[in-house]
Amino acid sequence: MRLRTALMGACATAAMALPALAERGSDGNVNILYSQAVSILNPYLSSGTKDVEVSSLIIEPLAGFDEKGNLFPRLAAEIPTLENGGVSEDLTTITWKLKEGLLWSDGTPVTSADVVFSWQYCTHPEGGCAQAARYEGVQSVEAIDERTVKVTFSAPKPNPYSAFVGSTSPIIQKAQFQDCLGAAAATCTAQNFGPIGTGPFRVTEFKVNDVVQLEANPHYRDPEKPAFATVMVKGGGDAAGAARAVMETGEFDYAWNTQINPELQAQMKAGGKGQFVSAFGTLVERIEMNLTNPSPSLPEGERSTVKHPHPFLTDARVRKALSMAIDRNLLVEVGYGEAGRPTCNLVPAPEIYASDNTDCLTQDIEGAKALLEEAGFTPGPDGIRVNADGVRLSVLYQTSVNPVRQDFQALIKQWWNEIGVEVELKSIDPGVYFGGDPGSPDTFQKFYADVEMYANNFDGTDPEPYLAQYLCDKIPGPENQWQGENINRYCDPAYEALVRELAQTRDIAARAELVKRMNDMLTKESHVVVPLVDRGRLSAHSNTLGGVVLNVWDTELWNVQDWYRIK
Amino acid sequence: MPEAAAARRKLVEVRDLRMHFPIYAGLLRRRVGAVKAVDGVSFDIHEGETLGLVGESGCGKSTCGRALLRLYEPTSGSIRIDGREIATAGFDTLRTLRPIMQMVFQDPQASLNPRMTVGSIIGEPLDEHTRLSRREKQERIHELMDAVGLNRAFANRYPHEFSGGQRQSIGIARALALNPRFIVCDEPIAALDVSIQAQVVNLLEDLQARFGLTYLFISHDLSMVRHIADRVAVMDLGRIAELAPRDALYEAPLHPYSQALLSAVPEPDPNAETRRRRIILTGDVPSPANPPRGCNFSTRCPRVMPVCREVEPAFREVAPGHFTACHLHDPAISQTAGTAAAPEAKSTADTHVQQGA
Amino acid sequence: MFTYTLRRLLLAIPTLLVISLVIFLLVDLAPGSPASQIPLTVPAEVRMRILEAMGANEPIHVRYLLWLKQFFVVEPLVWVDATFGTAFSEGMQRILSWQSRSPVFDVIVERLPQTLTVVGMAYVVGVLIALPIGIYSAYRQYSWFDQIGTFVAMVGFSVPTFFTGLVLILVFAVNLGWFPSIYNTSLRVTDWESFVAQVRQMVLPVAVLALYNASQISRYMRASMLDNLNQDYVRTARAKGLRERVVVLKHVLRNSMIPVVTVIALGIPTIFGGAIITEQVFRVNGLGALLIGAIQASDLPMVQTLTFIFAVLIVIFNLIADVLYGLLDPRIRYD
Repeated sequence: MRLRTALMGACATAAMALPALAERGSDGNVNILYSQAVSILNPYLSSGTKDVEVSSLIIEPLAGFDEKGNLFPRLAAEIPTLENGGVSEDLTTITWKLKEGLLWSDGTPVTSADVVFSWQYCTHPEGGCAQAARYEGVQSVEAIDERTVKVTFSAPKPNPYSAFVGSTSPIIQKAQFQDCLGAAAATCTAQNFGPIGTGPFRVTEFKVNDVVQLEANPHYRDPEKPAFATVMVKGGGDAAGAARAVMETGEFDYAWNTQINPELQAQMKAGGKGQFVSAFGTLVERIEMNLTNPSPSLPEGERSTVKHPHPFLTDARVRKALSMAIDRNLLVEVGYGEAGRPTCNLVPAPEIYASDNTDCLTQDIEGAKALLEEAGFTPGPDGIRVNADGVRLSVLYQTSVNPVRQDFQALIKQWWNEIGVEVELKSIDPGVYFGGDPGSPDTFQKFYADVEMYANNFDGTDPEPYLAQYLCDKIPGPENQWQGENINRYCDPAYEALVRELAQTRDIAARAELVKRMNDMLTKESHVVVPLVDRGRLSAHSNTLGGVVLNVWDTELWNVQDWYRIK
Repeated sequence: MPEAAAARRKLVEVRDLRMHFPIYAGLLRRRVGAVKAVDGVSFDIHEGETLGLVGESGCGKSTCGRALLRLYEPTSGSIRIDGREIATAGFDTLRTLRPIMQMVFQDPQASLNPRMTVGSIIGEPLDEHTRLSRREKQERIHELMDAVGLNRAFANRYPHEFSGGQRQSIGIARALALNPRFIVCDEPIAALDVSIQAQVVNLLEDLQARFGLTYLFISHDLSMVRHIADRVAVMDLGRIAELAPRDALYEAPLHPYSQALLSAVPEPDPNAETRRRRIILTGDVPSPANPPRGCNFSTRCPRVMPVCREVEPAFREVAPGHFTACHLHDPAISQTAGTAAAPEAKSTADTHVQQGA
Repeated sequence: MFTYTLRRLLLAIPTLLVISLVIFLLVDLAPGSPASQIPLTVPAEVRMRILEAMGANEPIHVRYLLWLKQFFVVEPLVWVDATFGTAFSEGMQRILSWQSRSPVFDVIVERLPQTLTVVGMAYVVGVLIALPIGIYSAYRQYSWFDQIGTFVAMVGFSVPTFFTGLVLILVFAVNLGWFPSIYNTSLRVTDWESFVAQVRQMVLPVAVLALYNASQISRYMRASMLDNLNQDYVRTARAKGLRERVVVLKHVLRNSMIPVVTVIALGIPTIFGGAIITEQVFRVNGLGALLIGAIQASDLPMVQTLTFIFAVLIVIFNLIADVLYGLLDPRIRYD
């Protein structure tokens, strides 16, 4: 609450200070701190958030998302829609028109050929493009004229705003990158470290995993912007140190992702030099239930596969009881403070897609116990519940090594013990857990545990691909080298039907209804996915930096051209 | 010889020299006592003579030698060398006095700086105390090397390249560099092969004759001392038990400690050797940190008397030039308490004389 | 000496080859994959293609041989080209980092200056502090000075640098505001003002590391001095009538420096290794930070190349230490 007032105050001062802003480069230098240092300035070769976000100061897509998740044109003159004829009736083409008079930072004009080239660059089979998913389903991209490009999809695409939209699919200059196609992409160090772009700034110096120095782009389309003449993006250290540099020492103006514990947050606010800003996107910390049997007594290659259903987690009542026993408010208080809020949804945002599902927010230990009784599990001599067939409620609960996650594990273990469930905890190095090595037994995809915890989200504002992960054919297993996104091994024909329906629905309201329906099926109806915390972004900025609007739908630096110095 | 010695000038006069090393112990490292390494020693050395200083290991003879040259800070007492007070001299005065008194150390290996060449080791005192030119210094180094029988070509070599005897020669050459008048030879042959020992001793004697040197020759090798010394002092636990001209001491030691010590010297003549009667001392050697009351030797003395455990014997001249610190030879005591003991002492001494002859 | 050095260098070649293989296997067999750096929002098939483009999915022996060729053939040729303007390395694949897709050596060369200035300066400062403290502590053994020196050395050695670093930041950067807490690597010293800025930003990290280095080296110095102070040749020197200063500085110190110099020489590779934690705390972003970042990101080519360079440096400085020992101590001869 206090934060919101503070934010409103900041906005008010911003509004008053606005008229003062005059010309490009009049506000000197701005220092930005990324606790993870930037490795490369080409988002097509790195999916790291830090790389994508800092690149967004330099190169831009045709359209981006604002802080509310709405599309707005960047290089495009306007957003093509069905109404203005930019999107074809059959949903198979979208035609973009570039703004007039756009120039690259080297002074040459931006043309439709650059847009076509960007697509070619990322879809080259040997390039290993990190953002290839943005161009999925794109059959061709053609230049109609100097300023017009037409994107054709291989099948009707209800959401055509994927290619060239958002900071993960920017337009790169053909002249600069034309020799960097395919396998040559990695050898173009100069290009990858200093792309020529259309954004408000251009690179003057880049030190890998250390610092990026930028200066105002003299050819930026708005002659009055950006207000800052230079930007320094420093990298390295940890979140606490980054927050300290803004909040306590005032050496930096903006610190990205200052995810620190609530206690430290409060302490740093007392420094009085800056403020935290938070906003919530789609990142949800959740517990995933394994519907297959991970028992080590099964032969290798059959553990956690659909061959063997789980002995008790296949019972929806057990899953629900486990969910009911959790106090999500306490988890937020302990782990995230202002940077988190309890949620029961897999898709907590954007607003139109968020289900009004709030049942899980109150902890109900007694209800959970009753539910387990109902399911036939009664406390054994050691207090652990056993059913008539001798199945003990004993779970292995794994997650990655991370202080907040270990706190969560401890708390949840306590609650589950209370309802008569035995819990064994396991924490795995994140490099292994998320490494996806098919040879390792400890990846989250292999899921050699009964329940596991991690966070996931979706790119942009459209949850369709995210929800489509829960298809039967996306279950990880030995036959697909354990590559598959359906971690829970969930398989429901009714859900499959909804996925197919969503793919064909283009009316936004109808889509929203479908998304909510699917979200509820996975969460409150089946408790296959047990959402815990909606994790926001928490960043810090100095009291003298104006114009900061935190955006979770696109790069955090999306409106850096509007930043200014409060004098 | 004694009369000649008396006629000579006293070069070194030591009076009541004490050298106590403090002992610290406990958490706060408080001083809890002292090791009385040298505890009231007085003697003179005449110009040109060699005084032998003998005694068991740990009796304080090396400490005495070092304290004499102020390599240790003496606790009390007076040391006069050539009429100049050493014991209390200020640091700078002392430094200017260094050239007249030098030392030859026991371990020729350890006492030479391993990182300096022979030439620089010998020449360093010249840098410090003279204003010779480079050439002159070089010449002097070569002279000294010649004097001790070292090849001049070795001047640029390092000490480790030499044999033990050669190293000791380097040490001697170094000691001679500034034309000293008095040299303390601190067990100069103890670390050497027997075959080399004689060479070094001969060298020392030779140099004494050539340069008119005065030696304090510290050793536990009684035969070697007998060979080189004019007079001999016997030390026991920080004190001098007996001081006498060489022949007097070797032929008729007065102090029971001297008697015991000398009885341990092997005889070169096998017949004499078989007849030699050793005095085996029993009892513990007292700790120098906690010496017994009275006579230091009282715990081991075969002829101990009650008075020995009470009163410290005075160091007195019992014959011309023959000093000892023993109640047996104190006329006041031997007449009263020691009547029974005295003849026995006499007989022991006699036996030795006979055996020695 | 020359043959000795040559023989040691020749012997180092098989040693280093074995080391390179061991490092490669260790790094490769260690759990973790570069794929863990890719967000979960990226679909599996895209992931696969990214790994393919990196070459991360080739069999291990292929990757090892390729790395050997790149390290021992391509990179030296690149260096030759850069120096003499030739074009031997044209079209050859250099060792590329998986994180930044840029040549590993370029990154290392870029990082070297800040590591050398900060960590190297800390080492120099540490040595300069340590030597007098060690000398005086030994000369006045058990004095108050020695006791305090011992205590400070113990603290400096046992308190981890992340702790001292944080304490210094809180005191001098947050509360007093005297020094910056973050090192600006792009600061260029052109005039007096920028020089002062450079000095100010170096103060804290250098202080942290210098304390650590000094406490270590001062102990060596003290121990070595004590060894020599009781030697007979010191007494000889005093008997020669030398000034006390000459005795201590010329005789004792010179001999005591032999082991200390070799310890200092052996410590030099650690300068290149950077100070992982301190660099991280102050964001000096030198080689230490580079290594730890690469390990976290499973950037195998970077980790492999860096650790191997460290191995080479250690081998070389061991040899240098041995040769120095021979030069300083006339008793030692390598023939």
